[in-house]
Amino acid sequence: MDSQANSSTQSFLARNDFLIRRLHSLSGLIPVGAFMVVHLMVNASVLESPAAFQKNVYSIHGLGSLLPVVEWVFIFIPILFHAIVGVVIVAGGMPNNNQYRYAANYRYTLQRATGMLAFFFIMAHVFHMHGWFHADVWLENVVHPLGGAQFKPFNAASTAGLALQGYVWVAVYVIGVLACVYHLANGVWTMGITWGVWTSAAAQARASAVCSVLGVLLAVVGMGALFGIRASGSGEKLEQAIQAEDQMYESKVASGEVKANEHKRRHEEEAEKSESEDDLAALEDQSAGATQRE
Amino acid sequence: MAEQRVLVVGGGLAGLAAAMKLAELGIPVDLMSLTPVKRSHSVCAQGGINSVNELTRQQGDSEYLHFDDTVYGGDFLQHQPPVKEMADWAPRIIDLMDRLGVPFNRTPEGFRDQRRFGGTLYKRTAFAGATTGQQLLYALDEQVRRWHAGGMIAIYEGWDFLSPVLDDDGRCRGAIAQNLVSMEIRSFPADAVILATGGCGLIYGRSTMSMACTGSAASRCSKAGVKYANGEFIQVHPTAIPGADKLRLMSESARGEGGRVWVPRKPQDSREPGEISEGERYYFLEERYPKYGNLVPRDIATREIFNVCVNEGLSVEADRQCVYLDLTHISREELDRKLGGILHIYEKFQGVDPREEPMKIFPAVHYSMGGMWADYERTVEGGLVLGSPRNHQTNVPGLYAIGECDYQYHGGNRLGANSLLSCIFTGLFVAPSVQNMMGSLSSSAHDEKYDTLHRGQRAVRQLEHDNLLKREGGRENPYVIHQELGDVMTKAATVVRDNDQLKDAIEKVNELGERIENCSLSDTGNWTNQNVMFTKALRDMFPIAKAILQGALARDECRGAHYKPKFTMPGVEADDPAERRRQAEAWCDAFEEKNRKWLKTTIASFDKEGEPTLSYEEVDTSIIPPRPRLYGLVGAEVIEEVWKGRQANRNGSANGQSEPAPATAAATS
Amino acid sequence: MIAPAHDHHDQPSSFEVRVLRQAGPGEPSHWERHQITYEPNLNVISVLQKIAAQATTADGKDTTPVAWDCNCLEEVCGACTMLVNGQTRQACSALVDKLLADDPSGIELAPMSKFPVLRDLVVDRARMFRALERVHAWIEVDGYGDRGAGPRESQEGQEFRYPLSECMTCGCCVEACPQYAKVELTKHVDETDEQFEKRQEQAYDESFLGAAAISQAMLFNEHPTGHMNAGERLEALMAPGGLQVCGNAQNCVSVCPKEIPLTTSIAKAGRQTTWHAFKRLFDR
Repeated sequence: MDSQANSSTQSFLARNDFLIRRLHSLSGLIPVGAFMVVHLMVNASVLESPAAFQKNVYSIHGLGSLLPVVEWVFIFIPILFHAIVGVVIVAGGMPNNNQYRYAANYRYTLQRATGMLAFFFIMAHVFHMHGWFHADVWLENVVHPLGGAQFKPFNAASTAGLALQGYVWVAVYVIGVLACVYHLANGVWTMGITWGVWTSAAAQARASAVCSVLGVLLAVVGMGALFGIRASGSGEKLEQAIQAEDQMYESKVASGEVKANEHKRRHEEEAEKSESEDDLAALEDQSAGATQRE
Repeated sequence: MAEQRVLVVGGGLAGLAAAMKLAELGIPVDLMSLTPVKRSHSVCAQGGINSVNELTRQQGDSEYLHFDDTVYGGDFLQHQPPVKEMADWAPRIIDLMDRLGVPFNRTPEGFRDQRRFGGTLYKRTAFAGATTGQQLLYALDEQVRRWHAGGMIAIYEGWDFLSPVLDDDGRCRGAIAQNLVSMEIRSFPADAVILATGGCGLIYGRSTMSMACTGSAASRCSKAGVKYANGEFIQVHPTAIPGADKLRLMSESARGEGGRVWVPRKPQDSREPGEISEGERYYFLEERYPKYGNLVPRDIATREIFNVCVNEGLSVEADRQCVYLDLTHISREELDRKLGGILHIYEKFQGVDPREEPMKIFPAVHYSMGGMWADYERTVEGGLVLGSPRNHQTNVPGLYAIGECDYQYHGGNRLGANSLLSCIFTGLFVAPSVQNMMGSLSSSAHDEKYDTLHRGQRAVRQLEHDNLLKREGGRENPYVIHQELGDVMTKAATVVRDNDQLKDAIEKVNELGERIENCSLSDTGNWTNQNVMFTKALRDMFPIAKAILQGALARDECRGAHYKPKFTMPGVEADDPAERRRQAEAWCDAFEEKNRKWLKTTIASFDKEGEPTLSYEEVDTSIIPPRPRLYGLVGAEVIEEVWKGRQANRNGSANGQSEPAPATAAATS
Repeated sequence: MIAPAHDHHDQPSSFEVRVLRQAGPGEPSHWERHQITYEPNLNVISVLQKIAAQATTADGKDTTPVAWDCNCLEEVCGACTMLVNGQTRQACSALVDKLLADDPSGIELAPMSKFPVLRDLVVDRARMFRALERVHAWIEVDGYGDRGAGPRESQEGQEFRYPLSECMTCGCCVEACPQYAKVELTKHVDETDEQFEKRQEQAYDESFLGAAAISQAMLFNEHPTGHMNAGERLEALMAPGGLQVCGNAQNCVSVCPKEIPLTTSIAKAGRQTTWHAFKRLFDR
């Protein structure tokens, strides 16, 4: 056939469109979606106690020097791949919800909108908590002045909680997390069609119900994590969190389970600096209080 | 010699079947169609396709009985060899369509399911839901697409056939056609042109036919000398849904699946149909035709419905003629499975659910049994010689006609579910004939020596077109003239015909034919000008319309769909046995006399202006002697008895001698 | 006439019809207003017939008849697809009474937006037929001679295939599809018709197949004989512009006038291509 003969003249990307789209679909679930679920559940463990959360963080950081490799290979690169292909897909679509007001059509448009939102949110979130890269030059000259890299793994709940005190950030996180959750839940549903898991209209409707329930549960977990962590960033809870974290750190260092690493702990100066952007009097007070107590 | 090619005009069942068969034989084909072939009128056929099958065989059915039903249903007006050949091929054709993937309905064991159709007592009709025509057409369309992908068939969709190209010897060497979008006029050299251009329902304004069914291609051929046969035989389908733009078909399968036709015994009973009890309902078909019931042949059902409304005043509504077609006694589930497609149409266009409420229907023009005259070559046994160049060739050498636009298979009246069969059969059957004809040619129409011929003919059509665009018309509107033509034709030449009315109609049509020359075009552009193409088609409706009216006027008898109350033959009404016998003898004498006079094909030949002249041709009835059609006639038993007696005597005296074949088309060369 | 679903006593004596007109490919388009005398039980086709007969706009100016496509007028041929009040559908089954009940301000008619406009409401849907060729939408029989009946089929099998086989290539599914982008080329001055056609076909072949063609591939893969060539069709579905372009908006199934389960076909195609890809990866 002509179409096959033509394909040699087409670009590599065009020729492998099917494979790329399937990888895109797969990467949305594994590893990106799976990671997100684990991430939200780990974070939600703060609802049990900051110590429980801290314990989970220690087990992740048990990977030691492998951690950055794992992060890049299984998290950042797949997210980037999923996002970049996603942007190309979004650019190729022409939403027509005004003309065709069907539920599935709204979901289609929402999937693209939440994808874009999720992409920007994840970039911001990783910068805000992690800083993207951990090279000193980058951290000192770019990240810290802009208020990024707030999260300190050995003071997990307290540093994350402190970073989430501003209303703007909370709003960003609420929207971002919900966008991610919708994108995943609806993405699982479309993935089942893409790969041919559910085929009949009835099966698709059942799958849609299951995905909706999963989405709602995940949204609850996500919101629980968000507000749980936020709560550990102020008042008495903050104090308790820091205490628990520091105790755990000291005992782990003493037992030799963890090597002492001040980079992964909170520092008063940094904590103060971090307020520079959306400074709120309350946040300042709390930080100050925390400093005093220490 | 350049490569020889065939031009097939028309992409319905017949055209597609011919194209794919020719391609299989290794002959390159140009396929031309007004619409994308997948949108051809064949999609509208609903009910099914007939053939003898394993089950009916076990009940005594055979190809011969299918043949017999077809000629009996057609009132013996068709030459019998082509019909016999078609009935013999029918089982193989359905097998082929099955192999091509047509989703025929299935029995629980996985065999093709069959239903019963009008004019037969056997369940011969295979079907695919209620859209059998669509499904058959798509299967052929797919095969043609396959050949197109392989380069054997070139498809020209959106081209209107303007005229055949005849050389000095009167042989067809191709055609001139015009593109509906660009308005380009070009020639298509071809060593054989096969016309498969369907019926001419638009002459009647509104009918069950599609908008492309103008009959213009046949008319344009008739101007080039092709004879038109049996034009007056127009089938009026008993059951259609009245509409402002079209009369939509309600398939015979609705009755085949148990649908019952009735009217309230009380004229214009205002109650809801559901409230009218059984006793107050008049199931007039079942009462008058106990043997066939609702499945009498179409011409009879049509006349009865017409009669019960017009003459007996029992129409369901006062200001409009219609009767009930009732399916409400059948389960929803069964209706959806077997008739889903057509019930959907009724629901969509009438806003009423026919599973809950009886449908309101009335007869509508549906099919032209007549068409371009075509030849055949007969075998001694009474079938056709496979591959004879004469099969389906018109009186113009190299020009063939197949499908609804030829006249050969349905005589005075077509049986339901035979048209799909005749279309596919003729398409497949004509291919080897064309192949052999081309084998005898020593040149190709693509040879240089024909260039001047094609250029010249093209220039003539171009000039005609340019003149039409430039014409300073009067204020006549082609759409209005079309409407008037439709009204005249519907009134004079459908269910009931009357000579005075026909004379009037001829006068009016002549008048309209003159007025059309005064039409002004509201669009004089040269790009996708539908206005000018419609005007051309309208102008070409007149020769066929005249042939229909004049044929009807001349034919003073009742035969099949052609019904003149003044020439009916009343049945035997006497009570006294001797008197009954005498009346029956007289009836049979009259019947024989009628056949001597009118069992003939009407042939219209046209002059350059499209004026028809009629002549008549004997019909080859050598295989099954004509016998009276006695559906529902009073005293049918005694007439039948007398008739059988005469036949027995005749056979006795003719013992061993075969009937001589008529000298015309039927003669074996 | 047959009693309509609702009564007309509040119907106006006439109503407005706005038609988006375009003289030819690449020409600008403009809205033209027509005033139509009301009658019960009209459909959009009879409205267009009235416009053609009137040949005058609502402002009383002479105009050319609107060009439109139609054939069967009973919604089985697929020719008369257009946008009626912004929705893709067949003009023949668009009943005026219902349209006016939904929007008394009049009726708006526009050509399909995903295909090149030839004139007014006439568009060129060659790309859809080309897509059928791309997916080999046919059964590869040996020939047309007598070889007995086709394969036996269960009622279930027939009931799966029949609805898919009702597709009339009308284009509603792709018109409503947010992933189906219009492909319209203009002919170069120095190009022959054949060259232009070739270039057009190539452009079509690289663009999205659309739901109709995907569903046809499933129709033939489901047939016992057609199944023998399933691989070819799946390769076509996996080629550029294939199944992967689908974005699961599912408008196709919502607008399909024949209610064909297009999204089931799409999901089935997803399943079959998944297995096909695995087989291709591990079986050779």
